[in-house]
Amino acid sequence: MAHPRYLLPVFRASLLGLGMTCSSLALGTATAQEATADDAALTSAGVTRNDGESQGAAGARTAAADLAAGKDDEPHILEAPAPDSRRVYVNDPAHFAAITQQFVIDGDDGRVIGMTDGGFLPNPVVADDGSIFAQASTVFSRIARGERTDYVEVFDSKTFQPIADIELPNTPRFLVGTYPWMTSLTPDNKTLLFYQFSPAPAVGVVDLEGKKFGRMLDVPDCYHMFPTAADTFFMHCRDGSLAKVKFAAEGEPEITHTEVFHPEDEYLINHPAFSTKAGRLVWPTYTGKIYQVDLSSGDAKFMEPIEALTEEERSQDWRPGGWQQVAYHRGSDRIYLLVDQRDQWRHKTASRFVVVVDAKTGERVSKIEMGHEIDSINVSQDEKPLLYGLSTGTSTLHIYDAESGEELRSVDQLGRGPQVITTADMG
Amino acid sequence: MNSAMKARSILAALFLATTAAGGAMAQDKVSVTTEAAVAATEVPADAVVVNIDKLKYETPDLTVKVGDTVYWVNKEAMPHNVEFVKGVVNEGGLKGPMLKRDQAYAITFNEAGTFDYHCTPHPFMRGKVTVE
Ligand SMILES: [Cu+2]
Repeated sequence: MAHPRYLLPVFRASLLGLGMTCSSLALGTATAQEATADDAALTSAGVTRNDGESQGAAGARTAAADLAAGKDDEPHILEAPAPDSRRVYVNDPAHFAAITQQFVIDGDDGRVIGMTDGGFLPNPVVADDGSIFAQASTVFSRIARGERTDYVEVFDSKTFQPIADIELPNTPRFLVGTYPWMTSLTPDNKTLLFYQFSPAPAVGVVDLEGKKFGRMLDVPDCYHMFPTAADTFFMHCRDGSLAKVKFAAEGEPEITHTEVFHPEDEYLINHPAFSTKAGRLVWPTYTGKIYQVDLSSGDAKFMEPIEALTEEERSQDWRPGGWQQVAYHRGSDRIYLLVDQRDQWRHKTASRFVVVVDAKTGERVSKIEMGHEIDSINVSQDEKPLLYGLSTGTSTLHIYDAESGEELRSVDQLGRGPQVITTADMG
Repeated sequence: MNSAMKARSILAALFLATTAAGGAMAQDKVSVTTEAAVAATEVPADAVVVNIDKLKYETPDLTVKVGDTVYWVNKEAMPHNVEFVKGVVNEGGLKGPMLKRDQAYAITFNEAGTFDYHCTPHPFMRGKVTVE
């Protein structure tokens, strides 16, 4: 503000230089800084989305027009557009690299609208109302060694600025390939729960509203957290039951177990789908049998298991496989499952097909050929959902119309090994 | 080259010294009888033994007397150990070596108390030793 007058020309010159850098960056990669301005530019230039002109070409045309009109470049930090149900987050655990990235993408036009950095195997969460997104992360004082710090970071959904940084005492995070439901938000988005594996199963309670760590809850030998209320969540236990955990500000949590709902030789995958709003837990096995639990009442009601694959398909080695193998669309009550023909023990390799199943009847709605090696899927939760298919191998997010299965667009260069797709259920 | 070697052997000696001192520290309520895993055949015939099999400590709730030595013996191919978290038997915690099949590890309990332990990679495997 109080720059001496004689410095101004120099200052402006360097800004100009910066502006040029920004423009070329914007053309190349579409950063958060670009989105708002370019959206406006696209509108003023009469460019509609998906008309075949690339975002880079549109950006170049707008920049050329601005230059011709003598419009000054005014570099500034952009805000991402307001979150909507088509916003999609792609987290890249980067094959266990010490630091990682998350890409925030507008699924509607396949544009990267921002990024966030994370440490080692962070767990991302996104509030269903879109208000915030957050992650539980881990850093070390010397890249991958030295003193370890676990913390929770909360981001503003438009500026992407961290609005809270909460340290977790005694490095309690479970360091594991990213399982979305190992860190969860309560339905009111005020509390974040994270899992501790070692030295004893426990769940950490983080008060996002008060921006402070709460405490660790001792829990039985159970995994994942599916919150159903501000003070209640369910877990899946080694013995094949679910545990209901109700906790207060202090004291031992109240823990009750359901019946054992699956036999010991039926393996439930690490990436079940859970709709907090519907209270629906959708849990496939290695064979494509799907257990569903209705948690909407605050108690577990087991639904009749369904088979996502037909008997004939199963006899021809069709099995689910990938990372996030299952997605659930709340509005249509449909289940999406990644499948392919594979050996029984190649359950983590990519799949090229998605079967869509009516969650109520178990009836097959469609079988979509994805056209790519897809490791993770998810859907947007709006009325005409997008189906997201993420390829870890090519670091590309493919975006499909969920109804027709047609690929609409894709976003590439999403880090080194992107694996986790998160969306907000804003409806 | 030579000095580096020297530094390394000094470091190694230092490390050994610290470990030894750690084992003998007054606040340790146990002494480690076998630092590394030993063959199960070396377990004395009259020893107090906790067998490990099928992802379980077979005597998860054991009572012994002050001065008794407890041997854990792994009976299966899955490696297991015993770990006491910080503050249980000493300040820093005690993480025993992983035992392969038919290997044993022993601890002598020097003070009365109840000492909870678990298996490091299998935290759902739990046991306790009550020393009277
Ligand atoms: Cu074990």
